[in-house]
Amino acid sequence: MGRKLAEITDLTKSYGNSGFQSQVIRGISMDIYEGDFLAVMGPSGAGKTTLLNLLSTLDKPDGGRILLDGEDLGRAGNRRLSEIRRDKIGFIFQEYNLLDNMTLEDNIALPLALNGVEPGQVQERVRHMAELFGLSRHLSKYPWQLSGGQKQRGASARALVTDPEIVFADEPTGALDSRSGRELLESLKQANEEGKATVLMVTHDAFAASYARQVYFLTDGQIQCRLIRKESRRAFYEKILDMLASMGGERE
Amino acid sequence: MKLSGLAFYNFRHSVREYGVLILSLAFSVFIFFSFQNVVYSDSVAFLESMRKDMIEMGVQAASVVFGVFFFFFTWYATGVFLQQRKRETGIYIFMGLDNRKIGKLYALEAFFTGLAAWAAGTGTGILFSRLFQMLLLKLSDVAVEIRFSISLKPVLITAAMFWGIYGLMVWRGYRSVVKSSVTELLSSAKQKEHVRQGKLRTALLSLTGAAVLAAGYVCALKTGRESSLNYALAAVILVVAGVWLLYDGLIPAVVEAMCRKKKFLYRKQRTLWINSLSWRMKKNYRMYAMVTILMITAVTVLGTAIALHGRYENSRTFRNTYTFQVAGFGEKLDRQEIIRGIEEENKVEYSSEIRVLALPAELFHTPYVYQDYGVIAESQIRQAAEDTGLTWEYPGLQKGECVELTHIVLLSLADSEPEKEMTLGDTSYRVLGACSEPFLGDLQNDMSFYVLDDQDYEALISQGAEMTFYNFRIENPENLEASEDFIRSLSRQDENGNYLVGTSVVRPEDSEGAYIRITYSLCLFLFVTIILAAGSILFLKAGNDAREDRERYQVLEKLGIPERTLRKSLGWEIRFTYYCPVVLMAVSSWFSLRALSNVMLGENLIWVNLFSALFILAVFAVICLLSERSCWKTVTARKS
Repeated sequence: MGRKLAEITDLTKSYGNSGFQSQVIRGISMDIYEGDFLAVMGPSGAGKTTLLNLLSTLDKPDGGRILLDGEDLGRAGNRRLSEIRRDKIGFIFQEYNLLDNMTLEDNIALPLALNGVEPGQVQERVRHMAELFGLSRHLSKYPWQLSGGQKQRGASARALVTDPEIVFADEPTGALDSRSGRELLESLKQANEEGKATVLMVTHDAFAASYARQVYFLTDGQIQCRLIRKESRRAFYEKILDMLASMGGERE
Repeated sequence: MKLSGLAFYNFRHSVREYGVLILSLAFSVFIFFSFQNVVYSDSVAFLESMRKDMIEMGVQAASVVFGVFFFFFTWYATGVFLQQRKRETGIYIFMGLDNRKIGKLYALEAFFTGLAAWAAGTGTGILFSRLFQMLLLKLSDVAVEIRFSISLKPVLITAAMFWGIYGLMVWRGYRSVVKSSVTELLSSAKQKEHVRQGKLRTALLSLTGAAVLAAGYVCALKTGRESSLNYALAAVILVVAGVWLLYDGLIPAVVEAMCRKKKFLYRKQRTLWINSLSWRMKKNYRMYAMVTILMITAVTVLGTAIALHGRYENSRTFRNTYTFQVAGFGEKLDRQEIIRGIEEENKVEYSSEIRVLALPAELFHTPYVYQDYGVIAESQIRQAAEDTGLTWEYPGLQKGECVELTHIVLLSLADSEPEKEMTLGDTSYRVLGACSEPFLGDLQNDMSFYVLDDQDYEALISQGAEMTFYNFRIENPENLEASEDFIRSLSRQDENGNYLVGTSVVRPEDSEGAYIRITYSLCLFLFVTIILAAGSILFLKAGNDAREDRERYQVLEKLGIPERTLRKSLGWEIRFTYYCPVVLMAVSSWFSLRALSNVMLGENLIWVNLFSALFILAVFAVICLLSERSCWKTVTARKS
């Protein structure tokens, strides 16, 4: 087990005004270690995306504490949070969020270039990531010229190009067909195993979750249980489906 | 809710968003109305005595220029409006509205927008009509009391111009909505394709653009030297085409090359703003070209105004060198006696006496044929210079040398190359140069004079008729009427009605010159209007681009790109939009003002060029700053 990257203690978050408050996260605690590949599952409204937004500094919790690399995110100002996102966090969104006005190559290079990395090094990193995600032939294309899978792999390459401490992925396979989804998950797995990237993925898809090493199950803003993979991916997938069925869902 | 009710509701709720559009349209209406009102208002009827026809022509010419500009401006502004509304009104497709109804909705909204702009522009025009005329006449140095007077005609003409053009554009928008597919309606504000030009096409366009622009500049430099009118026309056409091609070819090629050169591109925010520029270039180049051409026009208009005004002032000073001129044909008069006569009422500031030999025109062989020719001995000019304080730059003429005495011309499309040789009878004289000092005052405007060496002059006496001009300048020319009768009394004719002594009284107030002064003021107004209009086009464009960028900036923020970096990137992109046309304008205007300078027979317009370019730079710097702020607000606004 690597060093402790993030320590989440008793996290709470509510939305709405004082009269009609709805508590979305109710006292979640968890630890994330370097090199982890975590999945967070749960039905709609369970608080998966809210949890991801809190952990990734896009939103602020009402209570509890998030320590990222020993730094209390609750005490960091907006500028510092922005720096943390830039230097330590990578994002993969369901809707890819590639910038449509630049080529895939420039999209992947963007975080490094904006961080002031030397251009030669940027190009080298971009080439490496493109190879890892099987995108070398598509670098000069614009997002509208790419398929959904290629776009999402491009977004993943962009998220990982800065060597972030942790990558947050919000339903990364949500908009992909099964083949593209599988290709993306393989790439993420490879980045996790070979590149030691730490990944936290929110998904409702058991197949996607089976690529993770640990799966957290969320219901009504609370962690119901956690599964740790010890067997093959296929067996783990079965285990996840069983867990979902036991929690009141249906086996597919 | 009825369609009109819905349209009005939409208009009311988006009035802030389209405020700049309404404001720009209203401003255009205001300016057009104000020009028209100058022509039709009673208060300017007094100009009848001041070449009102010329003033009307000037105002109408300015209105036509403005109308053409308004056409392109409305084309662009309504295009932006259409793009915005298409996406927003496209949502109604899900509520069961068909394209025709959505088109009507758009047309009604556009109508309300136009109505607001037209009413605001005309209303402000009426309110400020007196002020506008006062300003115009004050700038023109025409002293007349202005009454508040409005006639229906300018209101109707303005309405016809506005609704004619605006209506056409709204109709164009309506047709576009009706013919759009559902997906086009829903995503029209998003550019889907970045069209990469073929290398050959880009190279061809770049080379042609550069060559055409260079040819335009060469023609501009030749204007005023040979076949002026042809060169001036060619220069205008070639510069307009060259600027257009440059924005379509060379500039996008350079930006694209910057995008390809990754070692250059991957340096901080360059990655963002150069990519953004390249992405938009194809869509925006017409607008950039239009703004650049507008600015070149504005500087040229201003240059014309100032040069014309300067020339006019010079010619007035030229004319007013003497208040009274008396010509003795063969008969010698006593200058001191005339001075005594004048000084009974007015003090004489200075006087001169110049002997001139009038020669038959057929003796002269000069590039331009004048009706009357005269030659003067250099000693006469030297003496006159001493008497009047005028400067004689060619002392000590040698035998066979001469100097042409010229006058000030407002503008000339004739070749301005000075003549090198003048032939008088069988003798050729080397022309040393042209002198525009008004030794003969107003008379110098009517005759062609050459100054010769005294011996050469003496040799010609037998071939012509000598006359002597007695010239007087009084200290207070406003009081010339007091001495006018005395001067007139000197006039004498022989029994055949031929003048023995002729007299001329030069009044300081030149009522005909009012049209030049008013043209000058109109040009100033046009200059300011065009610059503000060009600025507002860029402002609108930047705002529209910023709305498109909103989602991109949200993504970048999520990625943790610092606000400072994003702001810098936005700033660079907007600055390029504003300053690229300014640079092209600065280069092109140098050539256009050189051409103008040639037409103005060497009038030095370098200061006009410098000041107008600096003025535009200052105006654009302010608008650019406002634009940066407003765009930043737009891209960071969170719209659900």
